[in-house]
Amino acid sequence: MDTQAYREIAWNGIWKQNCGIVQILGLCPILAISTNIVNAVSLGLATILVMAMANLVIAALRNFIPYEIRIPVFILIIAALVTVVDLAFNAYLHELYLVLGIFIPLIVTNCIVLARVEAFAAKNEPGGSTVDGIAMGIGLTLVLAVLGAMREVVGSGTLLSGIDMLIPGAQPIVLFGADYPGFLIAILPPGAFIALGCLIAGRNWIEARKQARARANPPAPSAPADAPAEPA
Amino acid sequence: MNNSPFVRKAASVQSVMLQVLLALLPGIAAYVWFFGPGILVQLALASAAALAGEAAMLAIRGKPKALFLTDLSAIVTAWLIALSFPPIVPWWLTVTGTLLAVVVIKQLYGGLGQNPFNPAMGAFCLMIVAYPALMSQWPAAGQLDFATQLQLIFGGVREVDAITGATPLDALRTALRSAASPDSELHGLRAAQLMDGPAFGWLGGKGGEWVALGYLVGGLWLIQRRIITWHIPVAFCGALFASALVLWGLRPEGFASPLFHLASGGAMLGAFFILTDPVSGATTARGKLLFAAGAGVLTWVIRSFGAYPDGVAFATLLMNILVPLIDMKTQAPVFGHKKD
Amino acid sequence: MSEPTALGLSARTGGVMVAFTIVFTALMAFTYGATKDQIDASAAEEKMKLISEVLPPASYDNLLLDDYAALGPTRELGLDNGGRVYRARQAGQPAALILETTAPDGYSGRIDLIVAVRADGSVSGVRAVTQRETPGLGDYIDPKKDKDKKAPWITQFTGLEAARLPQCKVKKDGGDIAYHTGATISARAVTNAVARAARYAADNQNRLFAAPSGSTL
Repeated sequence: MDTQAYREIAWNGIWKQNCGIVQILGLCPILAISTNIVNAVSLGLATILVMAMANLVIAALRNFIPYEIRIPVFILIIAALVTVVDLAFNAYLHELYLVLGIFIPLIVTNCIVLARVEAFAAKNEPGGSTVDGIAMGIGLTLVLAVLGAMREVVGSGTLLSGIDMLIPGAQPIVLFGADYPGFLIAILPPGAFIALGCLIAGRNWIEARKQARARANPPAPSAPADAPAEPA
Repeated sequence: MNNSPFVRKAASVQSVMLQVLLALLPGIAAYVWFFGPGILVQLALASAAALAGEAAMLAIRGKPKALFLTDLSAIVTAWLIALSFPPIVPWWLTVTGTLLAVVVIKQLYGGLGQNPFNPAMGAFCLMIVAYPALMSQWPAAGQLDFATQLQLIFGGVREVDAITGATPLDALRTALRSAASPDSELHGLRAAQLMDGPAFGWLGGKGGEWVALGYLVGGLWLIQRRIITWHIPVAFCGALFASALVLWGLRPEGFASPLFHLASGGAMLGAFFILTDPVSGATTARGKLLFAAGAGVLTWVIRSFGAYPDGVAFATLLMNILVPLIDMKTQAPVFGHKKD
Repeated sequence: MSEPTALGLSARTGGVMVAFTIVFTALMAFTYGATKDQIDASAAEEKMKLISEVLPPASYDNLLLDDYAALGPTRELGLDNGGRVYRARQAGQPAALILETTAPDGYSGRIDLIVAVRADGSVSGVRAVTQRETPGLGDYIDPKKDKDKKAPWITQFTGLEAARLPQCKVKKDGGDIAYHTGATISARAVTNAVARAARYAADNQNRLFAAPSGSTL
């Protein structure tokens, strides 16, 4: 695979096929955990880890997995990898583990992981598959981070609260002073839906504008040769 | 999809909205009489915020401002917000709620005639979830003078825990729940005995029941003027009464009486002024009955078992979601009805 | 290539499945073994951190987590399935009891608490361990959710003397404990649970301290 192909895969995962705001997959963790940036990004990183490992392992082993039982084998591998990540979080990031709770084990059931394994890793070589897993994971993490930031800023007027769970001694940023009454709904589940709706609308708006601009002045090299000639 | 029949001509919208505002006056008069003129400040705040938000959104969307600003629909939304919020919430809460109603719930969905949710109730739900403590502090009738009210609305510090209480609805539910616990001193008391306190009147909350009567009078006038039909108020009150009657009849020590439900909280405001919103409510006659009855049952369920003080707002929004389905399912007979 | 028979196919896929299962179970087992000590240490540290919020570490010198008695279902503490009592001792003398207790009558169900009661009968501190009270309304019983960061509501119980325990009721019920308007139930549930736990600790103090470590009462 050349650089162009890798770039294509990465762009696909981060923007074109973004699993959070285009494919709308894996909503359960996205909505439940994005109450602040630290939680959101932590779960995103755990998901990247699992997706990269799952894609790598399955792409490497794809010739040994009989077609008939590929789904149970995929699930077995994903579940084992998630268990490893879960135990590692429990041991070394215990506070964060308590916050993320059930959502780390639930990565197993996150359809994105199985979808990428089935759609990509089972048919491609390990290098590209790992890039795909990482890119898809980064796409999800970006959505989580933006959602987390929106909800945290609006809901509690801070950024990066709980950062000391990752970097001991680090302090969160207080944006609107200690008297900010907070906008609790942003942190509660309805806020997650409203914020995600805004993100999806924002992405659609950008795409629509891009298309409108492309229509207005079509790029020269791709101008169709068989188009009716304009009168000079 | 049905659009409301009122959006054809701006002039008719304006006259309908004006009559709705007039119909609210008896309730507002009772409100001022029992709870003080603080509510007038809130009405003014909400109206100003609604007009400002509407004007800004119309400018952004490139719509004719004069036409839509004078149709009074924003003012109706603003008044319903002010009347459903506690009268002593801080000014920024009223303004934020009104702006959310007009900008997000009404204009972002396409403006008058397009919003799937009732703007006032949408704002109420957003604000009660966001600020449950501030949205649960209701003064009792005659408890606060105008100066204190102004200070609570515009002053920064709120030391109101001592001087305000929950709504009579919430207070009774709280009392009923502790009466059910064997450890409580209230154990075994019935709703009628629990309602012996100073916050309660004959039927509902003291003063609040008169405000509800004011809304009822205004609402009946609207029916007489043919601004609204009888379907929604009757179905809503009937369903609320019936569902409350069943469990109250079975276990009077555990539930509030049906009349208490009708006279308390936002029941009357909801029945005549909120659920009857032609944009977010059902449009066919059978649809209206179904829509309002559903809202009545849900109101009782949320009031009796939910975590927030009143259920009218949540019930309205839940039924708003079902309106397209209700309209679709009740459409067929309309052909026959149209001729008569 | 001849078509594989059904039996052959089953045997082959079954074999592959078993092989994968063994390999990946081994991976999980290895990780479990490698992280177990660290996980136990993290869990103990977490528990000690919680306990240090209700009882200053300077007021005892024994290994607290190893010095406990298990309780069966105890109505006074609201424990339907039992719980633990940790015994803090200073130079071998009883210092404080740390009780797991539950308020069964929260607004949205049970509220699990830990209550530290000193040997003189005073309450050293209280924390909510798990609670589901209405966000922004009743959840101020958890100091992490309390808007008042300087003096969270639950610190009213810190250092509550034994003589004042009869007044350990919310003000609405005629006691000393303040609460937030519109959210009396949460405060009342916690307050009553604390009063019951303190009374239980006082009534059973000798028995609880005397029980051998790790025993079930």
